Amino acid sequence: MSDPNDLSRGEQRAFDALPRETEPPPGLEDRTVALLRARGLLATPLRPVAAAPRRVNPMWLIGSIAAGLALFLSGTAVGQYLGARTATIAAAVGAGASYAERAEHVQQASSRYLEALASLNRGSDSADTATRLAATQAALSALGAAAEEVSRLAPDDPLAAAVMRGLADRAREGREAPTRTVVWY
Amino acid sequence: MALPALALESERALAERALEGDELAFRQLYRKHTPRLYQLLRRLLSGHDADAEDAVQDTWLKATERLGDFRWECAFGTWLCAIGVNVAREQMRRRSRRPEVEWPEGHEPPQAAPLERVDPMDLERAVAALPDGYRTVLVLHDVEGYTHEEIGAALGVAAGTSKSQLFWARQAVRASLGGRRKGIDA
Repeated sequence: MSDPNDLSRGEQRAFDALPRETEPPPGLEDRTVALLRARGLLATPLRPVAAAPRRVNPMWLIGSIAAGLALFLSGTAVGQYLGARTATIAAAVGAGASYAERAEHVQQASSRYLEALASLNRGSDSADTATRLAATQAALSALGAAAEEVSRLAPDDPLAAAVMRGLADRAREGREAPTRTVVWY
Repeated sequence: MALPALALESERALAERALEGDELAFRQLYRKHTPRLYQLLRRLLSGHDADAEDAVQDTWLKATERLGDFRWECAFGTWLCAIGVNVAREQMRRRSRRPEVEWPEGHEPPQAAPLERVDPMDLERAVAALPDGYRTVLVLHDVEGYTHEEIGAALGVAAGTSKSQLFWARQAVRASLGGRRKGIDA
């Protein structure tokens, strides 16, 4: 005998139709993990956790390509400007400059070199492989040429010797040997 | 965060790794069980999303704290949801969003006959409008499929109390749905 309080078929169907699962809001997982970390229940990662893969929006892709192109063109312009400026400065340094002035100039030029490298590193994600290789070659060429000059200045300096040894090993492995020519691209 | 392909690793192994503080193992457990937990908590908390999110966090916090004591005598998801039910009840008590109306004897809701056609959306709304205690029992029994004994054990009440609460909960839902239908038909 059925209980009058039992669910009717229609009621049962309606209960069966109710969802049993709902996707939790985005961000709740990370907040929960952060809470557990704060309570010492999960280990704190030694390196940042990679972000979740995102679906690429075509507009974002087009924007990225445009930004990459703009970055490349502006890099070229800056390169040309710096190249011209370097030639001007070199001429200035050679013309009767004191030793202290020349040393100061080395310091300024190395700061600019490091800034340029840091800038390359920041933009490397947006560059294509060929551009990255050209940039790396330019950086290595400058490093090799600088090491060669430093080794003349300080023949016993182990750092300059190590850089030159490394570059020579690289050249022996069949890769392109560093040259004194700085590649502007 | 992207997780490595879900290996065929038992929940127990994942839980043991999570217990040692392994975040990836925890995230795998979280992703598997939270959709059900979140829906249950939303329903118990009358569809209040923010409350349900707080309850999900509290539930995982308590579950992780107690994971070492879990004896694996029931499914991990069942154990987790049982913790979730208690977290939700604590939240109901703490916030007392709605006074706990349990119709005193002689003032129960009008008796209503079972309905033949019920819209699930209307049903969801009628369940959300129930007093906390009735809603909890009705959700656990009629939606989640718990027995009265399991509900009694989870809520710390006698199985008879669960039956009685379910009776009145169903009556209230029918009264609410019947009233709505009359309004529509009129």
